[in-house]
Amino acid sequence: MPDYLRKFIGLLLIFAAVGVASCEALWVSCCTTAAPPAALAPHN
Amino acid sequence: MGRLLLLAGAVLISLTALMLLLKRRIRTMAERYQQTPGRFPSTRGILMFLLPLPVLFAAVASLARGDLGGLFDNAIGYGLFLAGALLLRRGLRLEAEYDRRRVAKAPWPLKTLGGGVVALATGLTAWSGAHYPPAMAGAFGLVALLGCYLSYGFDPRIAKRFTDRDGVDVTNRVLEALTQAETSIAAIEQTTRDIRNAELNSRLRRIVALARRILTLLEEDPRDLRRARKFLNVYLDGAKQVTEGYAKTHGRVATPELEDNFRRVLATIEEVFQEQQQKLLEADVTDLDVQIEVLTTQLKREGVI
Repeated sequence: MPDYLRKFIGLLLIFAAVGVASCEALWVSCCTTAAPPAALAPHN
Repeated sequence: MGRLLLLAGAVLISLTALMLLLKRRIRTMAERYQQTPGRFPSTRGILMFLLPLPVLFAAVASLARGDLGGLFDNAIGYGLFLAGALLLRRGLRLEAEYDRRRVAKAPWPLKTLGGGVVALATGLTAWSGAHYPPAMAGAFGLVALLGCYLSYGFDPRIAKRFTDRDGVDVTNRVLEALTQAETSIAAIEQTTRDIRNAELNSRLRRIVALARRILTLLEEDPRDLRRARKFLNVYLDGAKQVTEGYAKTHGRVATPELEDNFRRVLATIEEVFQEQQQKLLEADVTDLDVQIEVLTTQLKREGVI
């Protein structure tokens, strides 16, 4: 396999794994709502 | 609204910190470029610092939302990414040094270790940050490891050995002499910062540049070490001692006589270093002349010319 092709595939894999995992982590962190502390929870 | 402001503030602070860090790094790189043109670090490996930035922002977002678990997970993930990127970059630099030298030991496998840490960070982020199932997170880690291997390769494992004319392996001796010389040059460079005299500083910078050029010649052809033994053992070490001594003394006592003496010594050292460099270059030319002579004689004997 030519050197440039090997490096290019490697970069694509890094983008796919690291990029997707980190963007997903940001997405999940922005979209999910954290449970409020018990003291601030509404009392019925 | 308050949370949005808090989030924006946190992002701004982290961005400013990152910019300051990058600015400092670039300045250091520029200084290195001025001192040793051959050792300018490339931008290889920078991608591993940039790609995980969303994990840092995820940690900041978790902090803004009051999600302690998310903050902890993302912070650990980003820390691992950063450690992996640093190891990878250090490994790349060691590999560049190894490639440049004709005699070198196999470097520490920092590149492989960095790839492993990046893979671990990817798996951990996919599992705890992005909430993928463990098997899928493991697959993310493996893909990252494969990507690092394909893109950056593994570390060299074989030492570049050097044997002298008698066939004796002198790799360790050569490396020891070069490392010692490099330490002396670095010490002179460090001491230059304590001397507040523009003229002497520029003379010392010239000496350091000359010494580095000689060292590069020796690294390129370690056979010259025998010719440069006096330079390595006497002049370089002497230059270091004199510079350190002057830096210590001139802070306490400032006498014109001392300054004149030091100036004269530096001029001599510069002259000697220039002569040494010239000798090494001439030796290369002589070696080439001898090789050409031998080849010509052989060709004449065989009737080719």
